[in-house]
Amino acid sequence: MVKTRKNVWELGGDWADPILWYARGVKAMQSRPLSDPTAWRFYGAIHGIDRRLWTQLGFLSSGNQLPPNDTIKTYWQQCQHGSWYFLPWHRGYVLAFEAVVRDAVVKLGGPADWAIPYWNYFKPNQNQLPPAFASPDWPDGQGDNPLFVAQRFGPNNDGNVFVPMDQVDQNALGDSQFIGASDGGSPGFGGVNTGFRHGGNVHGGVETQPHDMVHGLVGGGDPNTGLPGLMSDPDTAGLDPIFWLHHANIDRLWEVWNEMPGSTGDPEQPNWVKGPASIGQRAFILPMPGRNFTYTPGQMQNLSTLGYNYDDVSPPSGLPQMVARLQRFGVSVADSVTRSAAMAGPKSAELMGASGSLRVSGTEARASVPLDAAVQFSVTRSLRSAATAANPAPDRVFLNLENVRGLNDATAFSVYINVPDGDDPAKHPELKAGNIALFGVRKATEADAQHAGDGLTFVLEITDVIDKLHLDGALNANQLHVRLVPRLPVPDAAQISIGRISVYRQSP
Amino acid sequence: MTQGRRGLDGWLVVLATASLLAWSALAFGGSILMLPALCSANAWPVMPLSASFDSALVFNAPARLAWGWALMLAAMMLPLVVAPLRHVRERSFARRRTRAMLLFVLGYLAVWMAAGMVLQVAAVVALWTVPLPLTWFAVALAVAMLWQVSPAKQWCLNRCHRKPALAAFEPAADHDAFRFGLANGAACAGACWALMLLMLLAGKGQFPAMIAIMLFLLAERLEGPAPLAWQWRGGAKAIRLVAARLRIRTGSLNPMAEVSP
Repeated sequence: MVKTRKNVWELGGDWADPILWYARGVKAMQSRPLSDPTAWRFYGAIHGIDRRLWTQLGFLSSGNQLPPNDTIKTYWQQCQHGSWYFLPWHRGYVLAFEAVVRDAVVKLGGPADWAIPYWNYFKPNQNQLPPAFASPDWPDGQGDNPLFVAQRFGPNNDGNVFVPMDQVDQNALGDSQFIGASDGGSPGFGGVNTGFRHGGNVHGGVETQPHDMVHGLVGGGDPNTGLPGLMSDPDTAGLDPIFWLHHANIDRLWEVWNEMPGSTGDPEQPNWVKGPASIGQRAFILPMPGRNFTYTPGQMQNLSTLGYNYDDVSPPSGLPQMVARLQRFGVSVADSVTRSAAMAGPKSAELMGASGSLRVSGTEARASVPLDAAVQFSVTRSLRSAATAANPAPDRVFLNLENVRGLNDATAFSVYINVPDGDDPAKHPELKAGNIALFGVRKATEADAQHAGDGLTFVLEITDVIDKLHLDGALNANQLHVRLVPRLPVPDAAQISIGRISVYRQSP
Repeated sequence: MTQGRRGLDGWLVVLATASLLAWSALAFGGSILMLPALCSANAWPVMPLSASFDSALVFNAPARLAWGWALMLAAMMLPLVVAPLRHVRERSFARRRTRAMLLFVLGYLAVWMAAGMVLQVAAVVALWTVPLPLTWFAVALAVAMLWQVSPAKQWCLNRCHRKPALAAFEPAADHDAFRFGLANGAACAGACWALMLLMLLAGKGQFPAMIAIMLFLLAERLEGPAPLAWQWRGGAKAIRLVAARLRIRTGSLNPMAEVSP
């Protein structure tokens, strides 16, 4: 029986049956002890757990019996971030969770084809948190709605949870390649080639946007205690019921990407297809009712094989990225030409320039990024040739925020290029490089943990901004001026720092 | 399909060639390090116990020690710096890549050369003072095992994996590349000193010990950073890797099997 995951805002009511049954299933899971592999908190710990943070937030106490160590080592702390396994691991995670909820739903007399809804915050008027998650009450007015979470503070840390549309984008869908690299160029749609990585340094395109940003915007932080909202930190995110609807949407976007005309498809490298167990690392393994679910990325590629689908995988309207870009230069190129260029795959990236280190606090931070004249000339030459249609694939340009360290995962900021002094950056959307949320930065800052304290590196494609500067004749300066505008003022205590801001060119 | 964009880089070929040449020099060039000379005259473990420290230095002249140690570093350690060298390369201007990588290697080797002098002098003095090579080998083995399971070793290994931000423009870029080499070399020497001391005290088994230790260090470096703890480390991932390949080959692990969640 194929189950269909549907848009949570289009189910026919705030408490339509799929949501009501979801709440009942969540309630059943939450009633189970932490040591039960199908318990709510056990599933949260599979994504990540920080015992100190869990205790501070009230999800762990000295009276809780932990599972045996072997069980913990097998299942917990498994989520894949900053990795090309990000999408397939989370597909399996949502799939297994859905099966656990469905099992509870069926035992409660619910439908055997229950499927997790998804939250598509990009659709008009659907960026508000679905109402069933925002109310502490069940529809009958009883006050223990399991979908409600007190530690969900929203983008303004005031409890009003929504996704501001100027903070998120689906630009990653325009990247034709699934795999990227951590060399300063595109991190790809799906991420960079890694082994099992419970928190890698460079996040892939769809992981950065919208995934990371929605985590930070929904979770926010407690303005009184400074503690993160559940969704803001990978070690607590799985404890929030909205997590699963967000990840169903990310999973849906993977399917949308595969339907995009420029997409070059999922990786075929054995290390991706066969997963980390094939290279001597942990297997992807999740507890299911009565059995284990062990899977590889290769097994996660085909939705019909997995027994579910989405009610909508239509790509966003608009021209393919490369065609739109060439039109900007006044060139009309056959789609087959651009597709052929995309299939060839990008070359290695080359550094154009870089700033020094930078501290981010308060309401704004600025940096100048000096550019190397010779590399800058190469980019300009590439852009000039684009206007002649002799070059169907001009250089792409990427801004890297390297070695971003800090203590507050809920920190989010917008990045602008060359906004004139004295101007409000918000009035220059054409100069916006993108938005970044520091999902995972706290753990990445710990010296003796899995990142060795290097922090995270974020990659924003600034090709559109560079094109505009070029067409405006403003790309001749020997440096770029970068302005970082935090969504909310960054306290000094967050200790947010950036190792350097660099610019890379990449020839497609 | 997506295939990514990483191919075989020229600099990796250079690195591998340098390492192989050093191995060849060690294998066919006669003596490796001069400690065997101290213990030599004929048969291990019998040695001139009454030899003076002066004669030990004659057999182990600093220049010879340094040359032998440098060859050994090139052979054993260059494969360990692939990841930090890739970082230096990717974070440098194309025109500066070779220079930055050489500066990193210079810093890295400078630390190791200094550490090597200390380790060799320690070994020479130990054998000169108490000429019981087998006993010293056993002591070094015990020290290496203790260091291997200690949180201090993990502290060093974690720092071997660091990839700091590097300045792009000269002269800061030169300074950063060299300093990164120093830091990485210090972390590497901290992680590996006990095994290298063990190798120095391995007598006639020095060459096979070098091979075994290099393979172990490579396997150990496959593991990522980890929290500090008393535990055995190194080799597990390499063993799992080989086992997984064998299971795939024999069909007991079929990654494309049907899945039904």
